[in-house]
Amino acid sequence: MPIGGFVVHVQPEEKEELLRELSRHPQVEVFGHDEKGHLIVVLETETSEEMEALVEELSRLRGVINFNLAYLHAEDEVKKIEAGEIKPEIRFHRLRPEESS
Amino acid sequence: MALSRREFLKRTAALTAASLVGMNLPLKVDRAQADADRWVRGTCRFCGVGCRVELGIKDGRPVAIRGVPQSRTNMGYLCMKGMLFYQLMRHPDRLTKPLYRESKKEKFREISWEEALSIAAKKFAESIKNHGPDSVAYYGSGQALTEETYLFQKIMRAGLRTNNVEGNPRLCMASAVGGYITSFGADEPIGSYADIEQAFCFFIIGSNMAEAHPVLFRRVMRRKLDNPREVTVINADPRRSPTSRIADIHLQFKPGTDLALLNAMAYVIVEEKLYNEDFLNNYCTFRVGKEKKEVSFEDYKKFISAYTPEKAADICGGNITPDLIRKVARIFATSPATMSLWTMGINQRIRGVWANNLIHNLHLLTGQLCRPGADSFSLTGQPNACGGVREGGGLCHILPGHRPVKVDKLRHEVEDLWGVPRGRIPAKPGYHTIAMFSAVNEGKIKAIWINCTSPAQSLPNCDKYRKGMAREDVFIIVTDIFPTKTTELANLILPTAFHFEKTGVFGCTERRSQLTLKAIDPPGEAKPEVWIAREWALKLAEELNDPVIKKCVEPFLGLEPGYELPKAIWTEYTQKLTAGRDNDLRGATYEVLQQLPDGVQWPAPTKEWALKGGTYKKFVRGLDPLADEHAIDEKPYQFYGPAHKDHKLWVWLRPYKGPAEEPDAEYPFYLSTGRVIDHWHTSSMTGRIKELMRANPYAYIEINPKDAQRLGIKPGDMVLVETRRGKNILPAKVYEGPMEGMVFVYWYDMAEDRMINRVTKDAFDPGSKEPEFKICACRIKRLSGPKPLKPYLVRL
Ligand code: SF4
Repeated sequence: MPIGGFVVHVQPEEKEELLRELSRHPQVEVFGHDEKGHLIVVLETETSEEMEALVEELSRLRGVINFNLAYLHAEDEVKKIEAGEIKPEIRFHRLRPEESS
Repeated sequence: MALSRREFLKRTAALTAASLVGMNLPLKVDRAQADADRWVRGTCRFCGVGCRVELGIKDGRPVAIRGVPQSRTNMGYLCMKGMLFYQLMRHPDRLTKPLYRESKKEKFREISWEEALSIAAKKFAESIKNHGPDSVAYYGSGQALTEETYLFQKIMRAGLRTNNVEGNPRLCMASAVGGYITSFGADEPIGSYADIEQAFCFFIIGSNMAEAHPVLFRRVMRRKLDNPREVTVINADPRRSPTSRIADIHLQFKPGTDLALLNAMAYVIVEEKLYNEDFLNNYCTFRVGKEKKEVSFEDYKKFISAYTPEKAADICGGNITPDLIRKVARIFATSPATMSLWTMGINQRIRGVWANNLIHNLHLLTGQLCRPGADSFSLTGQPNACGGVREGGGLCHILPGHRPVKVDKLRHEVEDLWGVPRGRIPAKPGYHTIAMFSAVNEGKIKAIWINCTSPAQSLPNCDKYRKGMAREDVFIIVTDIFPTKTTELANLILPTAFHFEKTGVFGCTERRSQLTLKAIDPPGEAKPEVWIAREWALKLAEELNDPVIKKCVEPFLGLEPGYELPKAIWTEYTQKLTAGRDNDLRGATYEVLQQLPDGVQWPAPTKEWALKGGTYKKFVRGLDPLADEHAIDEKPYQFYGPAHKDHKLWVWLRPYKGPAEEPDAEYPFYLSTGRVIDHWHTSSMTGRIKELMRANPYAYIEINPKDAQRLGIKPGDMVLVETRRGKNILPAKVYEGPMEGMVFVYWYDMAEDRMINRVTKDAFDPGSKEPEFKICACRIKRLSGPKPLKPYLVRL
């Protein structure tokens, strides 16, 4: 299960509402926040695709400016990939850096 | 009480995140527990920002990543693309054995490295013997390490006697190179990311920074949030994007009208006397035309008088009004420090160099340069387009150390430094990218090595060039980590080591070179490119019976490929080839790069200077050692760039020019392409579509709601997109992104139906030779309702 530690930058005036909203998500745990609008958020998901999708979704919440990854641990997932239990869909080209567009 | 491993990891994650913002969390973790056995430092390779990252290794496998907090590029922050490291490193589809087929109609078979290298050498040698040196070519990448690009181009130029050395940065930043050289006399930005924290006006044009360079954009936003009243963010872009949504002002203009907008801003600056007379008098001249003729400020004023805001607003359309142009020009000129940031939207134009010049003009007129926070700063898409390709000699017209091929003195200097006979490197530049693949089409190139990139997908109008690549008489070698659209057309596929499976340097957008160390072994028989190139050269020397080819790799013989080999290549490149050049990297040895959390910004002629981090701002005395060394007078700024002998910055008179292909009655829409970080769904989707999207991520066509309504297109409907070159069928995303009359398509999808470069136009800038990916004309039509689509993957 990938575990990710994030610094979420939010508009300070939206912070309280966002904290309420985030508390409704079972995969989200808020460990701290400050008056500049930083939230310390830990996500735990089944797969890293799911974490990506969750970050996308949470990024769209009102007041969220951006979602920054600070730390990610995915040992279980790596083992599963090695064992052939999961095969991440490699959208490789799309994830290549900006080559032409 | 001992924590569960899960709880331990969560706390570690939280503490790491909190440390970046100086927050103290009341959490304890047991020091005896470990999340990884060791952490190996490197640079993220998923865009040009150059974030420093550490890969955590446990029991020999990559299990974790974290940002490096002391790094001046990212301060410990990363974006979600970092997640891909694990997946890519341990993925079962990785290429692990050399694969070969004589004919492109056959299936691939596994062969040994010995056999593979012999074939690679034989085919190149045969081609050279029968058709001359210019019948072979190397096409590289802004994702290859500097050591790789440098070694390949050395073998091609001095060994095989051809300048047919190109790379995909031609497609993304050649116009930025042309702009810097013609305006400032030297390639690459004057300033650094550190200017962001000192800027008061951000002028972001032709860039969706929020998505393409997220960690850098965080710095822009932090600056804005901490100083909401003092700082203004202006975004100029035909498309509404996450960047424009955060901006204070969004200038939405018709695609391809940017030159009019920029000249009109200059008009306002001149008319309202917002220019900086001292700066102009001390440091600038005015230039016009191919002959670079010097003209007066009065001539410039006369020229610019044709670009009234009223006229420009007419040309630009969208939400552009004369008042808006005036307002933006005033903020730009009068803010205490203005920083421009741009990328492909400006570069990928048939007049991309001019567009770059016109941005620089605004900085020159107003003197918004060389001071803290004031800079004209081009962003890079790929992690090593600057370091490897621009600096390391990865384009057909430049040798390492920013030396133009055609300058005899500099070419001979390189030959002498390499110890090869004078005259060995041809005086004529090779084929630029579009010319190179046209030569493949015409059968003039018989053997081509494509490294770490997929031109079959990334070239504009790619069907045209895929035909050539499919020719039986063109032998194609591809080095990569996964099958791609280009491996489909290859004869020989060589599996390579991925990032952190080999050692080497990336040079990011801000002139910064950073080392990534090998952390784990590559899978199967995959090898680092430097090893492949060296062994190939030895075989070529035998095949062609030419000792000079061997000479090219002699300093590297027998070295262990994981660290010693790239180190020796880097040492040769920096100590010999960059010595005395503007990108002097002599101080940035592997030892120094390993000591610093974030690497070195050139110029860094000495270790002492490099250990301080190098040069934050070029051309400023006291900040840039070369500015002192090359000073011609007492002035604080010294523009010693190699291309401007007069030591001046040049303000260019560049007329308005629209795109190569504008919409007309037959093809009434603008088609533009680009990338996003990700896009699983949008809030405008219905629940049903949302499920579809989650399961099948693929490219969409973004259509403005007004156009969609007019054409009866609903979210998820299948839409036919036609241009003069071909057609695509894509699902619709109806969305207030593109302006009315414009559609936008993501370019990464490998499915034939959705590969947008099958329809884009391959017109290119006559100066930079960079194609105009961003704009062509198309028509669209609803074909059917939503259809479940399968994501497409290339398999062998
Ligand atoms: S911003 Fe770019 S370099 Fe930084 S983590 Fe994201 S993809 Fe990597």
